[in-house]
Amino acid sequence: MVEFERHTLANGLKVIVHYDAGTPMVTTNLLYDAGSRDEDPEATGFAHLFEHLMFEGSDNVPVFDTPVMLAGGENNAFTNNDITNYYITLPSNNLEIALWLESDRMVGLDLSESRLLTQKSVVTEEFRQRYLNQPYGDLFLLLRPLAYKVHPYMWPAIGKDISHIEKADSDRVRQFYRRHYAPSSAILSVAGTVKPDDVFRMVEKWFGDIPSSEIIARVLPQEPPQNERREITVYRDVPAAQLIMAFHTGTRESRDFYILDLLTDILSGCDSGRFPSLLVRKKELFSDADIYLSGEIDPGLVIFSGRLKHGTDIKKAEAAVMHELNILASEPVTAAELDKARNRYESLRLLSYLSAANKAFSLAFHELLGDAEGINTEIDRYMSVTAGEIIDSSARTFTPDNCSVIHYLPDVK
Amino acid sequence: MKRLNVKQPPVIITPSAGDTAFPEVVRLSNGVPVYLLGKGTVDLLRIEFVFDAGQRRESVHMAASTANAMLTEGTENHDAITLNDLIDSTGAVLNHSADKETASLVMITLSRKLEEVTALAGEVLFHPSFPETEFRMLIDKRVQAFLTGRQKTSVIGREEFYRALCGNDNPYGRVTKLDDYQFITTSAIREFHSLHYRPDNMYITVAGRDPEQALPVLERYFSGNGTGMWHKPKMPDLVFETAKTGRIFAEVSNSVQSAVRMGWKGISRDHPDYQGLQVANMILGGYFGSRLMRNIREEKGYTYGINSVVGAFHGLGYIAIMTEVANNYREETIMEIKKEITELSRDEVSQDELSIVRNHFMGEIARMFDGPFNSAETIRGIIDYNTGHDYFTRFVETVKTIAPGKIKELFNTYFNSDNAFEIIAGAK
Repeated sequence: MVEFERHTLANGLKVIVHYDAGTPMVTTNLLYDAGSRDEDPEATGFAHLFEHLMFEGSDNVPVFDTPVMLAGGENNAFTNNDITNYYITLPSNNLEIALWLESDRMVGLDLSESRLLTQKSVVTEEFRQRYLNQPYGDLFLLLRPLAYKVHPYMWPAIGKDISHIEKADSDRVRQFYRRHYAPSSAILSVAGTVKPDDVFRMVEKWFGDIPSSEIIARVLPQEPPQNERREITVYRDVPAAQLIMAFHTGTRESRDFYILDLLTDILSGCDSGRFPSLLVRKKELFSDADIYLSGEIDPGLVIFSGRLKHGTDIKKAEAAVMHELNILASEPVTAAELDKARNRYESLRLLSYLSAANKAFSLAFHELLGDAEGINTEIDRYMSVTAGEIIDSSARTFTPDNCSVIHYLPDVK
Repeated sequence: MKRLNVKQPPVIITPSAGDTAFPEVVRLSNGVPVYLLGKGTVDLLRIEFVFDAGQRRESVHMAASTANAMLTEGTENHDAITLNDLIDSTGAVLNHSADKETASLVMITLSRKLEEVTALAGEVLFHPSFPETEFRMLIDKRVQAFLTGRQKTSVIGREEFYRALCGNDNPYGRVTKLDDYQFITTSAIREFHSLHYRPDNMYITVAGRDPEQALPVLERYFSGNGTGMWHKPKMPDLVFETAKTGRIFAEVSNSVQSAVRMGWKGISRDHPDYQGLQVANMILGGYFGSRLMRNIREEKGYTYGINSVVGAFHGLGYIAIMTEVANNYREETIMEIKKEITELSRDEVSQDELSIVRNHFMGEIARMFDGPFNSAETIRGIIDYNTGHDYFTRFVETVKTIAPGKIKELFNTYFNSDNAFEIIAGAK
């Protein structure tokens, strides 16, 4: 059980506190309900670029990092398709420093031209380093627009194209800030050796006077059901072919999410999973074979990803994966497989919650989904998955018409 | 949108490094040291088995990492698939790793599965079968990863760095070539394993809630074998041939960025200046607010990240600076790195900047000892390099008291970038 207390400020900021006696540190996790799905299709990569700007100083904080370091803390952030998430971990007697810093950049960020110019350049280099200068680095730049035709999940958080970042202007940046960085769009979660009442009092002091702003309801085009197989083939300077197969599935809160999360663990979560055993060891088609959920809040994807062994025909490899997936739609997984997945879930969950920072994030994320209590109730949602549900869910999901395929092949020189 | 009233910022409480005490050690009946790290809050135990079986001990290239990776590919009692099924069914995580100096197996298990998983760990460590089929599959996979690595500027840059630092005939510096995969055999790894994976060549750390519960279990599965009879194989002294100064260029065609690595010889961990040098390094390139990050990322925007490291292997210390930059920025980047070093050798750092670094270190150390799992990883450095149980007590003292004058002196003594070798891996 992860116990916590909740409170909402008058301006709409939601606050969650979890007392963890096992650490001398405290983590503040501030989640903003803004991700790359909230971007204009002509100005993608914005939420992430904005995340960089959040470290560039604010009205009362010339250099964001300095007070964090002086307080003995560390901090970072990430952006994905759904959210932008900031966290600071510091000795618990310096908690108020973190709250001061987060409140100051929520309301008074420095958005000068020069800061923007530098961070555009840094993010451009990040784009190059992580996506362009890596073998296989552009796979997800290719997959998203193949699988999504309407929903903004069609571009990754880094953006569709480097040019979108290069032409970002400060008017748009300001607009993004006003629209998304308000107390009512945020969830602040605090975990560590701190008493909830003390935290609520400090949060009121630092965030209480930030004006509330009107929430503009999110209206996103919903992705229509896919009803034909999609396939692209690309040639790149890589040593081995890679096969990607992506199937549309439900939302993060759907029953299918839990069923398929457990199923993908059975298939490839560990070395004795079906895919490593059958596709890698026995049939020797792949050198690795992985399947996982993309995990977004709106309907997401189940993604198979496998690097082919030299000499394997990619069509044959794809047929072998499809064969395994078809079996799931008719034959129940074994009791031993289910039992293994449940044991693994139990230990991985405990392992993850050794870190107060992980608990802080998880609480905030569940609150965004609807209820922070989800951190505790999701155990049952996993443990109650039955073999019958796995058959139904597989039959619904793993159909050829619901599949987007990438054949990523070595250049023929 | 402005805040209604500006408030006095909160006062920063100078962070403390917390409890850095070295843990209790007990011995199994055959002498294997077991370090116990308690105060866990959940019913998980992390047990690590560390062997002096890293790359430096190998006579056949890649024997150390291959022997380590093959541990879970089958034992005398179980084939690979059955073995992994047994491990995974317990919910445990078994991670093997081998680096230049040591090889290890980490097991993380639910306390209630302790007995089962420890038995499996013993089987994996002392009775692996190294089957030919699995070996061939592993090598195929490695070849594929090797070929992928040929296109990564960061990988090539790192390899060239170690080659320049240690020399190509030294296991620390030797760069793998495609041919090498033909020469490694199961008999070579079998030999490596029987020489180095022995109770008299290992130690164990146990971290979690009530770590003492593991002692009788470890006694059952790890107290046999080789008591007192074994003599550590005599290893030839390694010769390090550090490259002469100057530019080394490694072409990675079509890359849109270049890896830049600069480095030179440093000092060993027991050198009286080693800890002070850690502080000096932090200022130059050891954290987000370092001189290099502020200049080259935050002012110039040449890179997503740049950092510097002061480290030491057994027998050789080194200083390194590393980054990935757009091809057209690499000369400017090297110039700016040299400029920052010159500045730190010429002008003393301010007390303000030094305070940031001091406090940041205290927070870092507190996090390194935050909970038994982190502590277990932290103390490995002390054990592996025999730096003394009071290493962190001394380190905290150094960080707190080192003066700006001393830091300047350290830059003058150890950061002579004219002695550097500069590696660029990227497009022509």
